[in-house]
Amino acid sequence: MGQESHTAQKRSGGAGGSLPTTTTRLSGRSSSGFSRGRQIQKTFNNLKITILCGFVTILVLRGTIGVGNLAGIADVEAENQNLIEETNRILAEIRSDSDPIDPSEPAEPEFNPNVTYTLGPKISDWDLQRKIWLQRNPQFPNYVNGKARILLVTGSPPNPCDNSIGDHYLLKSIKNKIDYCRIHGIEIIYNLAHLDKELAGYWAKLPLIRRLMLSHPEVEWIWWMDSDALFTDMVFQLPLSKYDQYNMVVHGYPDLMFEQKSWIALNTGSFLFRNCQWSLDLLDAWAPMGPKGPVRDEAGKILTANLKGRPAFEADDQSALIYLLISQKHWMEKVFLENSYYLHGYWAGLVDRYEEMMEKYHPGLGDERWPFVTHFVGCKPCGSYGDYPVERCLKSMERAFNFADNQVLKLYGFRHRGLLSPKIKRIRNETATPLEIVDQFDIRRHPVHQGSDPNSI
Amino acid sequence: MLDRCFGARRIRQIQRTFRHGKITILCLFLTVLVLRGYLGAGKFGTPEQDFKEIKDHLHFRKRAEPHRVLEEAQTTTTETTENNNNNNNYGTFDPTKIAVDEEGDDEKPDPNKPYSLGPKISDWDEQRTKWLADNPNFPNFIAPNKPRVLLVTGSSPKPCENPIGDHYLLKSIKNKIDYCRLHAIEIFYNMALLDAEMAGFWAKLPLIRKLLLSHPEIEFLWWMDSDAMFTDMAFEVPWERYKDHNFVMHGWKEMIYDEKNWIGLNTGSFLLRNCQWSLDMLDAWSPMGPKGKIRDDAGKILTRELKGRPVFEADDQSAMVYLLITQRDKWGDKVYLENAYYLHGYWGILVDKYEEMIENYHPGLGDHRWPLVTHFVGCKPCGKFGDYSVERCLKQMDRAFNFGDNQILQIYGFTHKSLASRRVKRIRNDTSNPLEVKDELGLLHPSFKAVKVPASS
Repeated sequence: MGQESHTAQKRSGGAGGSLPTTTTRLSGRSSSGFSRGRQIQKTFNNLKITILCGFVTILVLRGTIGVGNLAGIADVEAENQNLIEETNRILAEIRSDSDPIDPSEPAEPEFNPNVTYTLGPKISDWDLQRKIWLQRNPQFPNYVNGKARILLVTGSPPNPCDNSIGDHYLLKSIKNKIDYCRIHGIEIIYNLAHLDKELAGYWAKLPLIRRLMLSHPEVEWIWWMDSDALFTDMVFQLPLSKYDQYNMVVHGYPDLMFEQKSWIALNTGSFLFRNCQWSLDLLDAWAPMGPKGPVRDEAGKILTANLKGRPAFEADDQSALIYLLISQKHWMEKVFLENSYYLHGYWAGLVDRYEEMMEKYHPGLGDERWPFVTHFVGCKPCGSYGDYPVERCLKSMERAFNFADNQVLKLYGFRHRGLLSPKIKRIRNETATPLEIVDQFDIRRHPVHQGSDPNSI
Repeated sequence: MLDRCFGARRIRQIQRTFRHGKITILCLFLTVLVLRGYLGAGKFGTPEQDFKEIKDHLHFRKRAEPHRVLEEAQTTTTETTENNNNNNNYGTFDPTKIAVDEEGDDEKPDPNKPYSLGPKISDWDEQRTKWLADNPNFPNFIAPNKPRVLLVTGSSPKPCENPIGDHYLLKSIKNKIDYCRLHAIEIFYNMALLDAEMAGFWAKLPLIRKLLLSHPEIEFLWWMDSDAMFTDMAFEVPWERYKDHNFVMHGWKEMIYDEKNWIGLNTGSFLLRNCQWSLDMLDAWSPMGPKGKIRDDAGKILTRELKGRPVFEADDQSAMVYLLITQRDKWGDKVYLENAYYLHGYWGILVDKYEEMIENYHPGLGDHRWPLVTHFVGCKPCGKFGDYSVERCLKQMDRAFNFGDNQILQIYGFTHKSLASRRVKRIRNDTSNPLEVKDELGLLHPSFKAVKVPASS
């Protein structure tokens, strides 16, 4: 018995290496004390073996992986955190409007509300200056091929939108305008600069329009268009001959304007301005409600009090124009309130009918059957909140964009798979005589309206 | 006694066996471990591979983290602001919900037929000449030595994966709009994938062919990547230099024909004449393009044949280098490898020198002193990961944009406060005689924009 236990101990000790094994002669007489001692020794041996094996295991693992790298997992976490913080910082920096303050720059003069704001030095003889310039520069005429030279002006804030989807729709919107303007020979200016700190926001178009008019005397008409307005009739051309006697064309309704004095009687999201003295004077008369701060707030109160349905907020350019035209009626002689086609088309009543339009009508009409412009007022995709549900706004903008894009792609034999689909499908097979197709489908070859040149003989 | 001995002996035997078993298993385990560490155990891998896997898993999380965090960062900031109607909040909207693919899947091409861009046309020059004669209103030269040029660029119709990507696409297209307005060049911004087979960098080939055939009045098609920006607004491309050539790319003859270097030329910005030769060139260029096995195999050939090319699927640039090397006799004499000015300028060596350029030189040079184009190869602002650090790429793109924009703004009397700033400041006061002001660079009414004066006046 004792021998067997002895040999067993000896064996276990031998397997673990050269371990001293205590050999004790067991006798039954001092069993309890003896067995206790044996137990302790057994436990001790087991423990030794365990420690030895553990040591060997670590040795082996160290040889293959390395203890240092085991601690490296924690480093990866830290690196991860750093990268996230870095990216957040870059994004926040790009989004913010902050500029590092340059101490060498003179401090901007404080705006004095007592001094009447002006857009620039008063010019009284612009028509004459312009006429002389045009005579001296025949290579920059204001009528090209019988058509008046138009400059389309649009823009957006210089910083990224609050959400990336806003920038994406700005991109689609400018592509839409590029397409229309390429087909109709119109130049585009896309403004990303705040030219005048006082007239920021919706008022920013005033100093911009004035600046462009004065710099480009060869331009006959300046067409301001909001960034949230899309062309939906690629064939329709402005009937400029209708406006020979007018200097400003804006979409609006005379009854809403003069009878109801509604604040949405006209829309300044898409309008035409002739390059002449009258327009400069109108801009000067329009601007005083614009300077931000107490002037704009006070003006806002006046406008809310005088215009029907206007909510209470600071003065905006549209309400100010309505108020100006109502209170100083002489301006209306030269303002044309257009509503026979959608120079501005409020989106909500139009976007659901695109499929119906494609079925029943054709491009070139410009009115409620096939709107010229679909204007997404109130959607504000560049900001954080709009006046309408986001999904409805964005889906409608996508539909309007594709509706217009189909008209452009028609020449190339494609159209979108659906008004919500970015993918296109072929509607016409390729041919070896593509010029027949060009003759048939190129919009430029089939103009709808012609603007007349009053100077032409 | 014997019973007890036997029982006890049995127990001890069992215990002994047990201990032996334990030790055996332990030793076996150690052996396996050691062997694995040094030899590897096939698909079970070594501990080092294990560790690499764990590290990659964490690493992958790390790379995906910033993007996810970017999205989270946007949503958390908007969640904190109070909003009674969550539907109007652009921050919480998922943009992927907008697109709906209708009308079935893409038609599967016949795998047995070799890929072709379209039906073979052999008499394009004659067709085009006849069309131009029939349509004198659409001449291919808008002035002596000034061909009609169409600048083609584009991006995906889906929002960028990177939240800041769309903003840079917007700035990039504004930059191109400005240059093209000054130089009387038309723009086509493509957002449609015409051929699913030629997706990715190859998408330009079917598009270019389609545009050449649909617009016979175009004399030159100028392809420009969306990540390339104009930085010299005054430089006019020397069109007369290319009167005997049909394809102009930025590159070096020695690097292509002698070194066979894969970056010996750049297809991010090139000019292609509208003629039969170009159609044939596109047909010869396209075979390496169709995605899948063809493109992968072609990639292997290109990596083998071209110097310095990494291993990836065939791209249009490497394929062009290979085409020129292998068929120099057929194509070489009509290809002009331009390096006298930066038709494509690699951003890495240009962006840090802008301040130096402003001090020492002036716009209109187009070369290393004032590059025409700064091309942000590798930055990929629309995707999730580029080849360079995000911060450097975005900041430098801002600087390049402002560098070009300053030349436009100075026309109107403004400039950016610094190359890094979005804000503008006045450099010229308004006067009441705006037509006497001449901008420094003469970009207001540049000669390359002048309309042909009619002979009779």
